[in-house]
Amino acid sequence: MQPDAKNDDLIRSARFRAEREAGWHRLEQLVARAEKSGMAAMSYDDALSLASLYRQAMNSLSVARSISMDKALLDYLEALCARAYLVVYAPQEPVTGVLQRLFTHGIPQAVRRSTTALIIGFLAMVLGGFVGFMLYQQDTSWFFTFVPSGLSDGRVPGASEAYLRSTLFNDGGRDGERLGTFATFLFSHNTRIAIFIFALGIFATLPSFVLTFYNGLILGAFYAMFHEAGLGYDLFGWLSIHGVTELSAICLAAAGGAQLGLAVILPGNMTRREALRERGRDAVKLVILAGLMLIAAAIIEGFLRQLVQSTELRLVIGWGIGAAWLAWLLLAGRDTEERAA
Amino acid sequence: MIGRPADILPPEGVPIRLDIASGGARFGAQSLDILITFGGLFLLFLALIWVNVLDWSMLATLFFLLAFLIRVPYYILSELVWNGRTLGKRIVKIKVISGDGQRLTPHQIVARNLMKEVEVFMPVTTLLSGSYQNGWVGLVLTVWMVLVLAVPLFNKKRQRLGDMIAGTLVVDQPTAVLLPDLAAAHASAAVGFVFRPEQLDVYGRFELQTLEQILRNRPKTEEARKRVSDVVRTIRRKIAFEEEVAPRDEWDFLTDFYRQQREYLESRHLFGDTREDKFHKAGD
Repeated sequence: MQPDAKNDDLIRSARFRAEREAGWHRLEQLVARAEKSGMAAMSYDDALSLASLYRQAMNSLSVARSISMDKALLDYLEALCARAYLVVYAPQEPVTGVLQRLFTHGIPQAVRRSTTALIIGFLAMVLGGFVGFMLYQQDTSWFFTFVPSGLSDGRVPGASEAYLRSTLFNDGGRDGERLGTFATFLFSHNTRIAIFIFALGIFATLPSFVLTFYNGLILGAFYAMFHEAGLGYDLFGWLSIHGVTELSAICLAAAGGAQLGLAVILPGNMTRREALRERGRDAVKLVILAGLMLIAAAIIEGFLRQLVQSTELRLVIGWGIGAAWLAWLLLAGRDTEERAA
Repeated sequence: MIGRPADILPPEGVPIRLDIASGGARFGAQSLDILITFGGLFLLFLALIWVNVLDWSMLATLFFLLAFLIRVPYYILSELVWNGRTLGKRIVKIKVISGDGQRLTPHQIVARNLMKEVEVFMPVTTLLSGSYQNGWVGLVLTVWMVLVLAVPLFNKKRQRLGDMIAGTLVVDQPTAVLLPDLAAAHASAAVGFVFRPEQLDVYGRFELQTLEQILRNRPKTEEARKRVSDVVRTIRRKIAFEEEVAPRDEWDFLTDFYRQQREYLESRHLFGDTREDKFHKAGD
């Protein structure tokens, strides 16, 4: 820097500032532009100088803190660096790359790591189903306790076998458009429930366990009723075609919730906050998976279940899709896992 | 409640200080987001029904889809696209950052917003629906919901549960304004007052920066001018400055004093003798 007559007159910290001020102003302009229209809209040169000016400003801040007592300067540099930092360290990964990594590695690995949570999630559903079934066997009036009347739709204990059968094998004359509406409704409703079950898990797992258990109760009672009417096998097929995917998704959401709950109950050597952050990584992936499966389940339930009327075919499709999910989750992303381990 | 700092350590290794967004700003941003999304949905459907080009099943499909999208997905998408800002946050000028100084990752955005379902939507709808007003179940539920809503008020960094899981903070957008350098602005003026080293030994950094704030605004009213002469009188008494200062020279006296005091303190600081305030031990 050329020491001119004017600068000679200044005290050291004022000289420091005068020499660098132009760079800061340029950085400020670039940051303002990046904040407004994003880094992607900037030219190569501008992006490059943004990064290098940011490092220079950081350097200036560090020096100014040790030599200058000019409060205005320190405040300004602090704010400028913070703004530039937020722009320079904005997320820049392309969305496709993130998604690809999520599907090929992130989700399957997260599922394989969360054994305990998965056991809790599936156990809740299975126990609920078992208890619902047993209670119905003892006293059919339990059915009315578990199942909200809106859900049963005439399918109550004592209904004729013919009616029950018609609910399993009847497309109700729905045309394609109606099916689409139905599938959308199922998807949005179920996904909200899944997110809800997951997020409740943070309150020490219990609420999401209870909610999943309750889902199991309804299921168990329903099954017992159809079983009584001699339609157990057909109901199994009717449920399997979408239920393998849908109920697994609910259990996965509950498992995600259990991850959070476990972090709160059993943080181990970490603080609860750290444990939550640690387990949250896998938990979130479980929920994303659950959401994905619920989209698939809604399409199956909305369209396929009405179109496929044979119980055998329903079983094959349902469990076939289930096996496909399982294969993906068990086999994908093995390569980097071993390297990391 | 205002001005709670969060020190962030960027990869460059120079800590920077951001202000944690206030509870009011968070509440405002959330309310705005709800208003925008739900209000937007309402208006859209009003318009669609009025225009009447879609049949009912298409309308229903669209409705189910949008009603789902304006909850958690809206927050995730908008924070992904606008780097940690939803529309509401943009309006009240706050944003989400990663607490560890690194980039905000998609995982963090998804994690913090998934929790919104139980942290914002569930308590608000439960409390507003009023269907659980009676009995101890209602009481327990109400207390629970209020506690969940109040989580950000009870911790130092004002984090929601979702923020804790994701490791994120919500901070005020910093605004940078560079005020002129007082020492430079008056440097070329002829030096009127000269202070001796022992006179500059009295004050420290805190007093210097307080004086800087006074010097930022030239007094305009009679009252302000009186306050300035009070300051001059106090300084003269403290540093034992014998020379008389005429009322019209008071401002120059302060700027000269500021400049020489700053130069002196800064050079002492460089020699390892940092003086935070007037209680330092002079001449160590």
